[in-house]
Amino acid sequence: MHEQRVARAYRAELFMAIAVYVVLLLASIGYGRPLPDGALRTAVLLAPMIGFGLMIRAIARHVRRIDEYQRLRLLEGLALAFAITGAVTFSYGFLETAGYPKLSMFTVWMVMGASWGAVCIARALQARRTVEP
Amino acid sequence: MKNAIRELRAARGWSQAHLAGLLDVSRQTVIAIETGRYDPSLPLAFSLARLFEQPIETIFFPDQETA
Repeated sequence: MHEQRVARAYRAELFMAIAVYVVLLLASIGYGRPLPDGALRTAVLLAPMIGFGLMIRAIARHVRRIDEYQRLRLLEGLALAFAITGAVTFSYGFLETAGYPKLSMFTVWMVMGASWGAVCIARALQARRTVEP
Repeated sequence: MKNAIRELRAARGWSQAHLAGLLDVSRQTVIAIETGRYDPSLPLAFSLARLFEQPIETIFFPDQETA
């Protein structure tokens, strides 16, 4: 079945990318941090991004595999998550001016992930109402 | 755009999942097309026409005829 085949391929590629990321992250923490400042330390500390690159590849291949309607839904979901992330990060930017603590840029990614998750859950609940038993 | 996919599918005794499998699309896509929430691309519309052995215009029809 189309969905299962697509999901299986995506899971396999994504898990492989995450595994590479985790291994390189642990290696960069263990070996990269004690290194003296310089090009080698920078390269070792950035090494986990190879796993991130593989994740981008997995996502690009997944987008090619899914059907036209799923692609449209994905785009709509991302557009909404993009807008929500913009609203949340801008709001917090104003709050920082008002004295709230400065947050790391990593937070933006978490907000984006959470926004996308919320949009996907809302869409899934909406779709459930029209599914035949 | 309206369509007769639900009726054509029911006449053959196919489930949405079965039709999705024949078209190599997701079940959500079949549901969205049947309920009129999504108008398929021409290639997918032609695949449906081939599958049901009917011309496209007997499967899909506009909500309201334009002048």
